[in-house]
Amino acid sequence: MNSTTTSKALKALLPGDLSNEPGRRAQLAEIDASCRLPVLFFFLSGLLWLLVGTLFALLASIKLHTPGFLDGQEWLTFGTVRTVHLNTVVYGFASQTAIAVAIWLMCRLCRVPLVASGVITVANLFYNIGLTIGIIGIFAGDSTGIEWLEIPKYATPIIFVSFALIAVWMIIIFRLRTERHLYVSQWYLLAAVLWFPWIYGTAQVMLLVEPVRGVVQAAINWWFAHNVLGLWFTPIGLAAIYYFIPKVIGRPIHSYYLSVLGFWSLALFYNWNGMHHLVGGPMPAWMITVSIVASVMMLIPVLAVAINHHFTLVGHFGKLKHSPTLRFIVFGAVSYTLTSLQGVLSALRSFSEVSHFTHHTVAHAHLGMYAFFGMVMFGSMYYILPRITQREWPSNRLISVHFWGSALGIILYVVPLSLAGLQQGRLMNNAAVKFLDVVQFTLPWLQLRTLAGCLLALAHLAFVVHVGWLLVRMLEPYRKPVLNILSGGEIPATTEK
Amino acid sequence: MSYGPLLFLGILFTLASSWVGLVLIPQRQLGALEQFTDTNTAAIYPQARAGQAQQGAEQYRALGCVYCHTQQIRPEGYGADITRGWGRRRTVSRDYIHDKTVMLGTMRTGPDLTNIGERQSDSSWHFKHLYNPQITSAGSVMPSYPFLFETRPIGPFGSSTNALALQGVFAPPVGFEVGPTLRAKQLVEYLRSLKSSGDLPEAPVKKEEPK
Amino acid sequence: MPVISLILLGSVLLLPAAALLSLRWATRSGQFTLINRAALLPFDDEEPIGQATDQILGDNRR
Repeated sequence: MNSTTTSKALKALLPGDLSNEPGRRAQLAEIDASCRLPVLFFFLSGLLWLLVGTLFALLASIKLHTPGFLDGQEWLTFGTVRTVHLNTVVYGFASQTAIAVAIWLMCRLCRVPLVASGVITVANLFYNIGLTIGIIGIFAGDSTGIEWLEIPKYATPIIFVSFALIAVWMIIIFRLRTERHLYVSQWYLLAAVLWFPWIYGTAQVMLLVEPVRGVVQAAINWWFAHNVLGLWFTPIGLAAIYYFIPKVIGRPIHSYYLSVLGFWSLALFYNWNGMHHLVGGPMPAWMITVSIVASVMMLIPVLAVAINHHFTLVGHFGKLKHSPTLRFIVFGAVSYTLTSLQGVLSALRSFSEVSHFTHHTVAHAHLGMYAFFGMVMFGSMYYILPRITQREWPSNRLISVHFWGSALGIILYVVPLSLAGLQQGRLMNNAAVKFLDVVQFTLPWLQLRTLAGCLLALAHLAFVVHVGWLLVRMLEPYRKPVLNILSGGEIPATTEK
Repeated sequence: MSYGPLLFLGILFTLASSWVGLVLIPQRQLGALEQFTDTNTAAIYPQARAGQAQQGAEQYRALGCVYCHTQQIRPEGYGADITRGWGRRRTVSRDYIHDKTVMLGTMRTGPDLTNIGERQSDSSWHFKHLYNPQITSAGSVMPSYPFLFETRPIGPFGSSTNALALQGVFAPPVGFEVGPTLRAKQLVEYLRSLKSSGDLPEAPVKKEEPK
Repeated sequence: MPVISLILLGSVLLLPAAALLSLRWATRSGQFTLINRAALLPFDDEEPIGQATDQILGDNRR
């Protein structure tokens, strides 16, 4: 299947001993070490953007219930602050940590060290330059006005090229694999890196470079915006869950058949979902109906994944106490099921009549992006960072602050706002209620959201401080870290070997 | 399963299906919609925007108005868009053929603006509302946009015709007046141009019942 | 017959045929017999099945 010339050229990239001996596989530590710099760069820049995004999230949240707060400055109006928040957390934090996790996972599952890791480091540099230009552009009023695609067109080509470079490198790692069999995580990773440049490229060309006319823009906008969740963040999130749950508890996934079914049904149905964001809108009915049908079909992959993960975990819940990775990952996996079910419900015409145009959708978006994807990424970082730096996490207390701050914060965010959003929709659909009264109704709920946001901000600060502390430890003399403990939290003597 | 190329093809074909279905086919079906000319009255709808209103659309985009205001009317009996008086009929694809950026919106923190030009055609109301929404709509959570206005000394011939009539806490210092900048004028012209109520065969305006 | 009907008819015949062929190929080349083996891929001699990792939050640490 691989033509011999290209595979020879690729093999030349491998370290000498690996390319000469076909039977020899790279060791875990060797793979982790090869990923160190690029993965660390993507994680750290991601966390930096997370702090910026959190700050602007708080500003946006406060402004929505106290419009006088920092009012009257053009670069601090709600329209700008909200846009900066979305783009920094989506393209700054979520995408960059996703890339780091994807690269590390791909190398580990293919059992090859990362080749020419400098290329990924350069891609990271370009990515952040592009993103910084884009965010400055948004502050300057150059936002495109298209949701999830606000970064102006003079910045996006840089981001696109970085993405393409990373996709090519992932495919190279995949081709170099020394393990013939493929694990389900690899399917998801390969799919994500192929899908994302396609949807991003299509959206850029048809919306910004050569804009199409009329509501076709809205169709492409939501085809992209839903697929960026479904075909970029979701596959990488699921790839991480499928790897880390078995890995942490030391037990293979319950049913590999179910994971195959889950992958292909997700691939078939998720990319048709986007038009459910336009229910009741000025589009031909067939487009919206097709998306509603596809949204309901999403029950198949979602339930397959939920059943599979649950049965893998059964009997091992005690390990949640000892593993930060497992805590975050399981929280994320449960949220994935919940947010998907909520999404199916919201796609139905009768439900959408109430929930559309309200804070219900905002809560749903945060359940998906934060409670599912963000938490899975945090969990992955707790596993990957000590292994690539060869240092232990310094403080259990900071881990607890991070977990409980994030978990309670996002629950306090999503649950009340989902319910308040429905009531908001009911009031809005009753023409006897004055619009300003609907606005007034939402205020206490929005204040509660700001409180939840403060908890999340605290959690993020704790995490960033902790990561900083871990990095400081890299300056100290090397001590063999305790990364694998058999079970129950017993610590073997660190001095052996 | 271990067959890389099969996986690769599956990944490409699945996305290709919706790329054709939700991107290319809509472009073929809707990308070339034209204005409608009523053969009886010779009325043409929708009309392209005049220059200043067109520039105002850019202000609307840059200021992020779309994050709180929709520009779409859902059909009668589905939501209360029409009973609230936001429009006289549902909006359809043809309503948007002249928009450079189509800003349908997904959130109604504020009311729908599809027909704001018809519902509120008074420029001075819009200027005051943008300068500080509390003047015209106390209790609103809309930001104020004072940077779209200039506070200037009143000239020897008295206040300018376009100076805002501000009272109480909103009034400028004595001897000064607040007037709209070009950007504010453009934005208000755009808002006043927002009217999606022309009679279309696919979306007829409901006639009043004869009494 | 209009072109669109031909395309539809063609795909109705061709797609299931392609699906059947790939299914035949998959069973013959042992894709399904090895399917559960893939579930073991996260594990190896260094970190075998049964060994929990990342159990760092113990009672006897800070």
